[in-house]
Amino acid sequence: MELTLTLIITQILFGLALGAVYIMMASGLTIIFGLLDVVNFAHGTFYMLGAFAAYIVISLFGNFWLGLPCAIILVGLIGWMTESLLIKPLYGKDPLYPLLLTFGFSIAVTDLMRWIFGTIPKVIELPKGFAGSFMSAGIFIPKYRVFIICLTIAVLLFLWFFFKKTNLGMIIRAATRDSLMVRTLGINVPRIWTFGFALGVGLAGLGGAVNSSIVAAVPDMGVEMTVECFVVVVIGGLGSLGGAILGGLIIGQVISFVSLFASDWSNVAIFLTMFFILLVRTRGLFGEAGRL
Amino acid sequence: MKNDLRPKVQRGAGNRTVWLALLVCIVLPFVISIPLATEIMIFGLFALAFNLLLGYTGVLSFGHAAYFGVGSYACGMAIRYAGASIWTSLLISIALGSLLAAIVGALAIKKRGVYFAMISMAVGQMFYFLALSPLKRWTGGEDGLKFIPRLKLEFPFFVDLGSPYPLYFFVYIIVGISILVIWRILNSPFGRLLQAIRENEERTIASGYNVTMAKFVSLVFSGFFSALAGGLFTIYLGYGPLHSLYWLTSGTILLMTILGGMHTFIGPVVGVAVFLYVQNQFSRYIERWELLVGILFISLVLIFPDGIVGTIKNKYLERKADDTSPETEPELNAKTETEG
Repeated sequence: MELTLTLIITQILFGLALGAVYIMMASGLTIIFGLLDVVNFAHGTFYMLGAFAAYIVISLFGNFWLGLPCAIILVGLIGWMTESLLIKPLYGKDPLYPLLLTFGFSIAVTDLMRWIFGTIPKVIELPKGFAGSFMSAGIFIPKYRVFIICLTIAVLLFLWFFFKKTNLGMIIRAATRDSLMVRTLGINVPRIWTFGFALGVGLAGLGGAVNSSIVAAVPDMGVEMTVECFVVVVIGGLGSLGGAILGGLIIGQVISFVSLFASDWSNVAIFLTMFFILLVRTRGLFGEAGRL
Repeated sequence: MKNDLRPKVQRGAGNRTVWLALLVCIVLPFVISIPLATEIMIFGLFALAFNLLLGYTGVLSFGHAAYFGVGSYACGMAIRYAGASIWTSLLISIALGSLLAAIVGALAIKKRGVYFAMISMAVGQMFYFLALSPLKRWTGGEDGLKFIPRLKLEFPFFVDLGSPYPLYFFVYIIVGISILVIWRILNSPFGRLLQAIRENEERTIASGYNVTMAKFVSLVFSGFFSALAGGLFTIYLGYGPLHSLYWLTSGTILLMTILGGMHTFIGPVVGVAVFLYVQNQFSRYIERWELLVGILFISLVLIFPDGIVGTIKNKYLERKADDTSPETEPELNAKTETEG
């Protein structure tokens, strides 16, 4: 196949669209880890729940634009309950316990969803405006993928605004640095943690809702996504939002180009990328030295 | 509170437990079905290898299926493609498993627990995808590694590994020796060092020990025996399933280890026995087995983190402590009486 400039640009754009979802997911994971010191092994599960939430809402009300925010809210609520009931009791214990718990949670919820919804993929229909692609000078990109990129940029801007300019965002940043001090100042930090978890998984849910038009909603979609998120976050450096973004971009491009030349290897390629980057820079690209 | 303060040091009393367990396992195939007994032996070894890393060194690996699966496929491929003997194939399994563990260790053992957990999960997934797609021609992809020729042992004497009883006792002997070796490793100064690392890594480093090397060696040992278990699994099944590399296998071995008690020696084997037995009996009736596994996981972490053997041990130790604790109150009362 000819490696023309238009092909390269097409693949880069495609990689951006892929990377966008990973960025959304990895941001959520990073927020949760930065704030609660918990690695959410069920992150992909919330992604899957978001996809199904969107599917249910859109099937019931027929409105795609209602589906996305509802997915975020519903998944956020589930996350709120999960943190309060299951993760909170583990604070103060061995840091491996929340990992184990979220892992078990992902197994249980995935099977529960299999039970309720079966394993036949559920497809969401896109609104008419998203059909087709943008074409220019031989470069194709489906309109929906452009939407995903724009949405992710909007989400990132929102997060930036939220963390830098709002009081709650400032409190969260402070709690990420020194939760004891924040508590001493009289702020209900456990509630902040719960909120942080809900926000993080809400982002995952949005990722799932947005992706479910491309990849049909299936209960098992969460597991692979969790591992891929981990790869993104390990590459970018756990705890760094900038790292999550860079990691997402890299992984998006890797998948895009490897799929072009050797699609058999596209799954394995991301792990090889991770190992290579670990060899070169052991704490990830933006990882903080102390935290590792 | 009391349990949190007491260090979870395993005492030498394990020796009796080990011999007792080995004795029980001789009669096991006559009590429960032979395939189940064989699986318990194999996965028991896998769990012990896993717990070497988790319970003793305090390092959580989420992708241990990689070593098990690599051992399984290596053994199968050696027999099928190279016509190697059973012993040679097992040796190849062990070599490759240890090598993989060494590579993973070189890349990641210095990292914090959560990082290592994620990287190990990635390793596991990578091998799963490797076997599934790009290397399909050699691994059989989704169908697994099939058509492995009839298995028999030539040396030291002829054993037909196709029939259940000889197969069980072959597995039993290898697993038994491995258990004794692992026991010896863990009840040595090195074993104590691993536990020190688990309890307080910074202090161990400050005491002058090469903690990174110790963790690395622990990981390699773990990979060694996990791969051996994998090789035995292929011999037992007569084929190499893709499932041996699947993340759920990693998760299940983790669950069984915690269920039995990760802070004990024989706990993981007990966990394997209980889990496999219950699965064997009830998965026919219960459709949503994975859901139960997940719920069990959550319950264990929230309520019984010490597992079966761990909880029993704690009860036993508690009773012993109560019997021997000094009575300080009456002495005080006596003093005030004389003074008053």
